[in-house]
Amino acid sequence: MHLRFKVFAEQLLVASNIFIVFLLLFESKLVIPAWLQTIGRMHPLILHFPIVILLLAMLLEFFRFKPEYASNQFFRNFLQNLLLVGALFAGVTVIMGLFLSREEGYSGDTLLYHKWTGAGIFFLSSIIYLVRNTGWYNAPLAKAGALLTVVSLVLTGHFGAALTHGDNFIWEPVSAEKEMAAVPLEQAVVFEHVILPILDQKCTSCHNPDKLKGELILTDAQSILKGGKSGKLFEPGNPDISLLLQRVHLPVEEKKHMPPSGKAQLTLQEISLLTLWVKDNADFKRKVTELPETDSLRILASTLLKTPESDEEKFDFPEADEKAIAGLNTDYRTISAVARQSPALAVNIYNRSAYSVKQLDELKEIRKQIVSLNLNKLPVKDADIKSVSQFENLRRLDLNFTDITAPGLKELASLKHLHSLTLSGTKVNFKDLQAVIPTLKSLKTVSVWDTGLSAEDVDKLQKANKQITVIGGFKDDGTNPLQLNPPQVKNASTIFGESVALQLRHPIKGVQIRFTMDGTEPDSVKSPLFDNRTVLKENTTIKAKAYKDGWYGSELATFDFFRSTLKPDSVRLLFPLNRVHQAEADKTFFNGKLGAIGANNPAWANNWAGVRNNDMGFISEFKKPVVISSVGVHYMIEEDTGIFPPESVEVWGGSSPDNMKLLTKFKAALPSKGDKPTLKTVEGKFKPQSVSYLKIIARPLSKIPDWHRSKGNRALLLVDEMFLN
Amino acid sequence: MPKNMEKEIIEHGFNFNRRRFLSSMSLGIGSVALGSLLMPDLLNGGGLEEDGLTPGIPHFAPKAKRVIYLFQNGAPSQQELFDYKPKLREMLGQEIPPSVRGSQRLTGMTANQASFPLVGSFVDFKQYGQSQAWVSNLMPYTSKIVDDLCFVKSMYTEAINHDPALTFLQTGSQQGNRPSMGSWLSYGLGNENKNLPNFTVLLSRGVGNGQGVYSKLWSNGFLDSVHQGVQFSKGEDPVLYLRDPEGMDRHERRDMLDNLSQLNELSYQEFGDPEIAAKIKQYEMAYRMQTAVPEVMDLSKESDDIIKLYGPECLVPGTYAANCLLARKLSENGVRFVQLYHQGWDQHGNLPFEITKQAMDVDQASAALVTDLKQRGLLDETLVIWGGEFGRTSYTQGKLTADNYGRDHHPRCFTIWMAGGGIKPGMVYGETDELGYNIAQNPVHVHDFQATVLHQLGLNHEKLIFKHLGRRYRLTDVSGKVVKDIIS
Repeated sequence: MHLRFKVFAEQLLVASNIFIVFLLLFESKLVIPAWLQTIGRMHPLILHFPIVILLLAMLLEFFRFKPEYASNQFFRNFLQNLLLVGALFAGVTVIMGLFLSREEGYSGDTLLYHKWTGAGIFFLSSIIYLVRNTGWYNAPLAKAGALLTVVSLVLTGHFGAALTHGDNFIWEPVSAEKEMAAVPLEQAVVFEHVILPILDQKCTSCHNPDKLKGELILTDAQSILKGGKSGKLFEPGNPDISLLLQRVHLPVEEKKHMPPSGKAQLTLQEISLLTLWVKDNADFKRKVTELPETDSLRILASTLLKTPESDEEKFDFPEADEKAIAGLNTDYRTISAVARQSPALAVNIYNRSAYSVKQLDELKEIRKQIVSLNLNKLPVKDADIKSVSQFENLRRLDLNFTDITAPGLKELASLKHLHSLTLSGTKVNFKDLQAVIPTLKSLKTVSVWDTGLSAEDVDKLQKANKQITVIGGFKDDGTNPLQLNPPQVKNASTIFGESVALQLRHPIKGVQIRFTMDGTEPDSVKSPLFDNRTVLKENTTIKAKAYKDGWYGSELATFDFFRSTLKPDSVRLLFPLNRVHQAEADKTFFNGKLGAIGANNPAWANNWAGVRNNDMGFISEFKKPVVISSVGVHYMIEEDTGIFPPESVEVWGGSSPDNMKLLTKFKAALPSKGDKPTLKTVEGKFKPQSVSYLKIIARPLSKIPDWHRSKGNRALLLVDEMFLN
Repeated sequence: MPKNMEKEIIEHGFNFNRRRFLSSMSLGIGSVALGSLLMPDLLNGGGLEEDGLTPGIPHFAPKAKRVIYLFQNGAPSQQELFDYKPKLREMLGQEIPPSVRGSQRLTGMTANQASFPLVGSFVDFKQYGQSQAWVSNLMPYTSKIVDDLCFVKSMYTEAINHDPALTFLQTGSQQGNRPSMGSWLSYGLGNENKNLPNFTVLLSRGVGNGQGVYSKLWSNGFLDSVHQGVQFSKGEDPVLYLRDPEGMDRHERRDMLDNLSQLNELSYQEFGDPEIAAKIKQYEMAYRMQTAVPEVMDLSKESDDIIKLYGPECLVPGTYAANCLLARKLSENGVRFVQLYHQGWDQHGNLPFEITKQAMDVDQASAALVTDLKQRGLLDETLVIWGGEFGRTSYTQGKLTADNYGRDHHPRCFTIWMAGGGIKPGMVYGETDELGYNIAQNPVHVHDFQATVLHQLGLNHEKLIFKHLGRRYRLTDVSGKVVKDIIS
């Protein structure tokens, strides 16, 4: 450095020392003009220079007396100058800082520490600079001075940062959430656990005892009530005129909007919480649960307090070895972690025949980690419970439909944490449970449906053990009988050849099926009981009902059985079928599959052959001539949708396709308006005739009757089967 | 080898001397580091590892371990079942105010209708239980268990037709090809019982106007095919192709599988295709299912109490009641997700008759399922969901007569109920306006519902992700909020 500059700089250094001492002495009397404030506010900008320069200078100073450095001209000059510049920057920074501290909003211990350590750095570095070339200044002194300066730098920096960013700035992201989650809803106080955390997150970095912008402190109830420079924060019960909320609601660009633009803003939910709290008279003591159930503040607060993981249990046992878990997992024993990063394990064991108590004993290595064990429906004996009780941290134990009884239950007493136990379908009784429940200190629920306990027992048990929930269940007491569902027919098809054994069934055991074959409705007394011995030989309508004690009789079920002894060897369609009513084309009429009513039924879509604009007709061939005397056509009527019976059916027969004569022609009865959809058969009989070829032509109705809304149009004809005898 | 070429090879070797390696390394590392600032998961590979999630383990301790979804396919009318709107009766035949209908998109079935007369429920409602929830007389059994249920009356969706709406609810997207909710859960939670599929499907059909369900609704989408839903059908072979062919006994099957899996293992090592590994697992599971499935499907050991609880139809395979009983058995045996579909709820016309029948099909058995789970101590860890794909209009479709009317599709509001699995019991959440047309309070979007279901199973819907074709997919796509108010 040029000597002239250096001398000037040194003089400046001495002068700043005097100036700063002056400032510190008369600090309280200072009034800072606006232009100086601007300079003061550059403190956070300039402060980085002295930090870096002094750190470097002190590092060099530390090693200064090493011979190779001490003899190096450049090193000596450079260090001297560096130190000077650093000290000067420190001075400027201190002056600016002192100006800044005079602005409103800074006070408290942190500021005090920051001020004095900051000033200390300046004085210390000045002294070092001024004395470092005197004779008594030696290596230990240099090292001590350098160290002291560096420590002061770190401390000052830390206090300064705490002033700007708040106390817990660095650790906040890691620590904040956990603190929040720890409050159970029942104990939560609205102000302390809901309102204060919002202020802490969004406001107190500027409004705390150390940095009270606007003379406002938002860290405790008293200061909040006191308000700030602009007055009281709120009028309890009246959020509309409360300063706090006014500031929040101002447009962000507005200077007085809080939090200032650029800082994290309040969320809508937080604003409503603040509003509701003020509206609720800004009570500082009230618990969340003291508010009425439907209160908006309560609802909002309880959702806020309930972070997703908040009620997750924390376990204090260590994690089990992953390899051990993997090794113990088998096809019939599933071991899985309850959650990621949780040491707790859940174990499910399945398959009755594969179970043995060994499956429990083998879990020794992970016995501490098992919190849930499912042994439902396994042949677990009382003796096996000893192996269960080694799982000392068990929370949930499922023993439904196991062989456990009183002695096994007693073993459970050692499970200190067990809170839910299922015993449904076991043989335990009231006395056993009454004895065991008080020994299970953590128990919260126990299910005892389908055990030795009657409904009264369950009530008694519940009354005697108010701290837990006893779950009974449904037991039919016979007071509300249900109606049985109707019997079903199990014959593969209701179309048969010469004869068929009637098969009626009901899915419920012990049901009686009563039926008639004469078209009358069966009753529970007179009608014959179905006994699997009925053989049908001709077209029969079966009417059946199901009966059983403790049930209402079923609705009537009707099954039509059709005799069809002749089946042609091949069929050839003479006219096309409708595109949507193809069914199985030429195979439709003799495949034994009946259609059904209702377009939703698969039997509707798949089994009905249909025509409208042309006849339905086919020629069928019998390889060996047959004697035939009747033809039945099974069809559907649904007048509403225009499905009508055939207008006429012609039956032709003969020994060859070219040589056939008309055997019969018959008509079907037309429905009347409003008739329900039905399935019907129309039959044409004639003199027994030997034929090799049979031609059947069914004509759809060419004119729908006048009473119908589609009068005059052609009707749809749907046929699923024909019966030849 | 020609001399020139030898030289080139040697030179090529020298090309990678130490200096060059290091300089390119530093540049490489530098650009990777820079890149990782821009794309935070650049260094973490694909799939789930980027979130540190091991598939098969919940993100946090779950309330529910299993789901039974009683899907009422076709969209049941909320006005006749759970959403009581006396005002609609008062205003019978009056035109729906344009301010209420707004500029809503209508389906092709009513868009050309000249008038939109309001119609109230033909059936009466009463309040039940401590929760005082309104339930119509069509649901006598459900009304007895309202204190176990949480009704959400403010569900809404984006689609106006069955297939997209159904696909949206099940997969989070109106177009197909995404994994179904059950597949996501299977993927996120893993198996509880290794002898049964994680995700099973049961179908039934009522007499009402029906809408199709297709296997795309239980597809695994881009997830591993072990997560696909397996349909259990009625009849002798509940799971198709599970039975050994005639003449093959179980030991032979075992030998065959052992050899087959060795071959598959070889080809897996060669090609590394995860589908091969999935195949090996599926063969093994099928082998174990051969004994596990008949055990589960056997209803002959159910007690008389159970038959009376579910109603006599529960022993008739293929009915809704039988499927509910099966659902309990499957769920009890550790099946994570049992999906039922009951078809026939699409009452565009003839509503009073059809909905009465539909309600009779499902009322007793749905209530029985909840009661049955409860009495086994399983309801707290099993989430039961009952609902359709959207709601129905407050105005009639087609002719309004004294005793007959219909209702068209209505995406703006519909009612579902949930029970167990950590959902608040005895609660009615959300409200519709007095005409039951728009949501008045607490709307719940389909994605919110999905997020809530995942949450109950210990899964964060924003973290349950699968990367496929360069983008990350979620069940809830890019939205969805857990409805915390209904969580107990």
